[in-house]
Amino acid sequence: MAKELVAMLLAGGQGSRLYALTQKLAKPAVPFGGKYRIIDFPLSNCVNSGIDTVGILTQYQPFILNEYIGNGQPWDLDRLYGGVHVLPPYQKASGSDWYKGTANAIYQNIAFIERYDPQYVIILSGDQICKQDYNDFLEFHKSKGAEFSVAVMEVPWEDASRFGLMVADEDDRITEFQEKPKEPKSNLASMGIYIFNWDILKKYLIEDEADPNSENDFGNNIIPNLLRDHRKMYAYHFNGYWKDVGTIPSLWEANMEVLDPEHSGINLFDENWKIYSRNSGMTGHRIGDHAIVEDSMITDGCNVQGTVKHSILFSGVTVEEGAIVEDAVVMGQSTIKAGAVVKHCIIAEKAVIEENAVVGAKPDGEGVGEVATVAAGVKIGAGAKIGPNAMVYEDVKEGEEQW
Amino acid sequence: MVNTKAEALGIIFPNSYDALVPELVSERLMASIPFASRYRMCDFIISSMVHSGIDNISLIVRKNYHSLLDHLGTGREWDLVRKNGGLNIVPPFAQKQVKVYAGRIEALESIRGYLKKQTEKYVILSDANIAVNFDFDSLLDAHVKSGADVTMVYRKQEIPQGMIRQSTQNMDLYYALGLNGDRVSKIYINPTEGGEMNFSLNIYVIGREQLIDMIDEAYLHGYTYFVRDVLDRQIDNLDIRGYCYEGYVAHIHDTKSYFEENMRLLNEENLNALFSGNQIYTKIRDDNPTRYINGSKAKNVMVADGCVIEGEVENSVLFRGVHVGKGAKVKNCVLMQDTIIEEGARVEYVITDKNVTVTEGKSLTGNDSYQVYVAKGQVV
Repeated sequence: MAKELVAMLLAGGQGSRLYALTQKLAKPAVPFGGKYRIIDFPLSNCVNSGIDTVGILTQYQPFILNEYIGNGQPWDLDRLYGGVHVLPPYQKASGSDWYKGTANAIYQNIAFIERYDPQYVIILSGDQICKQDYNDFLEFHKSKGAEFSVAVMEVPWEDASRFGLMVADEDDRITEFQEKPKEPKSNLASMGIYIFNWDILKKYLIEDEADPNSENDFGNNIIPNLLRDHRKMYAYHFNGYWKDVGTIPSLWEANMEVLDPEHSGINLFDENWKIYSRNSGMTGHRIGDHAIVEDSMITDGCNVQGTVKHSILFSGVTVEEGAIVEDAVVMGQSTIKAGAVVKHCIIAEKAVIEENAVVGAKPDGEGVGEVATVAAGVKIGAGAKIGPNAMVYEDVKEGEEQW
Repeated sequence: MVNTKAEALGIIFPNSYDALVPELVSERLMASIPFASRYRMCDFIISSMVHSGIDNISLIVRKNYHSLLDHLGTGREWDLVRKNGGLNIVPPFAQKQVKVYAGRIEALESIRGYLKKQTEKYVILSDANIAVNFDFDSLLDAHVKSGADVTMVYRKQEIPQGMIRQSTQNMDLYYALGLNGDRVSKIYINPTEGGEMNFSLNIYVIGREQLIDMIDEAYLHGYTYFVRDVLDRQIDNLDIRGYCYEGYVAHIHDTKSYFEENMRLLNEENLNALFSGNQIYTKIRDDNPTRYINGSKAKNVMVADGCVIEGEVENSVLFRGVHVGKGAKVKNCVLMQDTIIEEGARVEYVITDKNVTVTEGKSLTGNDSYQVYVAKGQVV
């Protein structure tokens, strides 16, 4: 039995610009929004869009991601036929290879896709925060009679030169592709989400693989080749919330936007488009007698005795009495001890901020500014001071300063 | 062979003591009463059994079991989807001449065929009106080591007033043990004395084959109650031992105790006592984290995921998906799943069941000794 559409999720990204957060973790596994990981978004989008066959291409630090995905049950992707499959590079009779590029990753898994004999393949990115109905995208692709479609976002013209841009005619047919051009002819930025007719994709993957000079990349190779051959290529306009959380400030900002769904457009509280995740199974959170909690999101298992303002606490975070947490993203099972002050920063999982330590500071000017970051499992000693631009990978001793 | 599997199967009676909490079980049974912000009563015994390697668990239901079926599903969240054993919910066998079972003997007789086919050496019987993080491993060890025929779990405490009050009209019996060393020498049925007694928690260990023989015999005689009609009658012939449980117990025996046991968990020591052991599993709802917005105030509360708090909450337990509107005040309350307290409403000493709405500006007040209970789905 054939599947109409198979999703291939590129999750090999190292996320090197997330520094301390991706030391031991692939970028798609980075925690987000209180109880999610980034990959929950594309996976939930898949299942909410009726896609039941998803291949996840992993390469970098895959253990946590593999364990997290498991059999796919939390996303309802444990299926007898289809379901979710983690696809690391593997050894073949003719040798083995790392995934050389995004296109090569799919090329190496042609056999996986063939098992389902699909008409269409959707290529997804595992490092974006986005709620999107892929079914609507597929309907667009079909109605245009397209061979290739790409989801695009309108970006401000002044920012356009930072993106890969699609130049399209009034029928949305793509006529040109510009990769980060100095003089943009369009403000339609590619979101890196593509739908291909499978026969076309397969043909171009094989051709691309045979080209020794190719970087085996969708943006740099496959799309230009499709254009060269005047394939039927269309741009699908998406105008919902979309954020590439590739940097610490953008990740912090996206988390803060979750706190304000009324204005930011990222609503995690949508009963009709739930974001699924593997749950911690902890008991309800506790707010103590002297705690102050304002404009924040608190997850199961937290114990708040201190002050938490405009922050996100992931499951099992402890904030002791007298501690202050403000404009902060505090990931699972971290502890902020008495008298510690944690502001405008990201604290990764299982970190400990000892008594009276100070992490981060509110920037003076407008905008996101600098965001201090403490890596997972790190201990910041009592009275230590971590500057607003610091990236802390290792324990900081009592009373020391790091900027 | 690696042996991670316990030598016992579990049997739970989810309807036991339903009659003590008529309001809470009007559309459910004891085992599916929501407790401690995100659990149901049966989660505690089932999770404890699972953590002790018991992965063959049957619940013999009597009535009102839709909510239990909905909650447990296939048992996946308790890791009970097993080819051998797993979760087994036994509904009453619908025959004209068979009425719904009254006591444990009829209930066990109804699954006699199943019991006969199992391979576990022992059976652990339990009710679901207590929330405990119970170590069944130790219990089983003690039972095997003592060589007893039956081991009964008890706790040194006063008999709950709620049980004594209703003992005359109630078909659910309760027991206290007279002990000689650890040997049970006397079973007190529905005792009404004050003071500390060896109050039975209604958790028993017994050999499977022996249980089947006892049930057959008792069924022939038309007996109803396992403890009163089997154990008590044969107390001199059987080696019955007591096993003292000293851990934390939340015991539900009336609406008031339901309220108080929820409130007791606001104390961190109690919360840790109940939850710091093995994880208690429950059904996953995929709620988002709880939001505190628009000038909300929170003080001494336990709140599950999925809530939106815009008003004031104090000394309360909130289950998943509760919404407290702007300017609303919630004090000393237990608000079950998806309760909505609209703008400006005030509730104090109130228990709301699932999907209750207290409309804008309304006020509901109970007191310390009597809490107002609002039934499932009601709009106030």
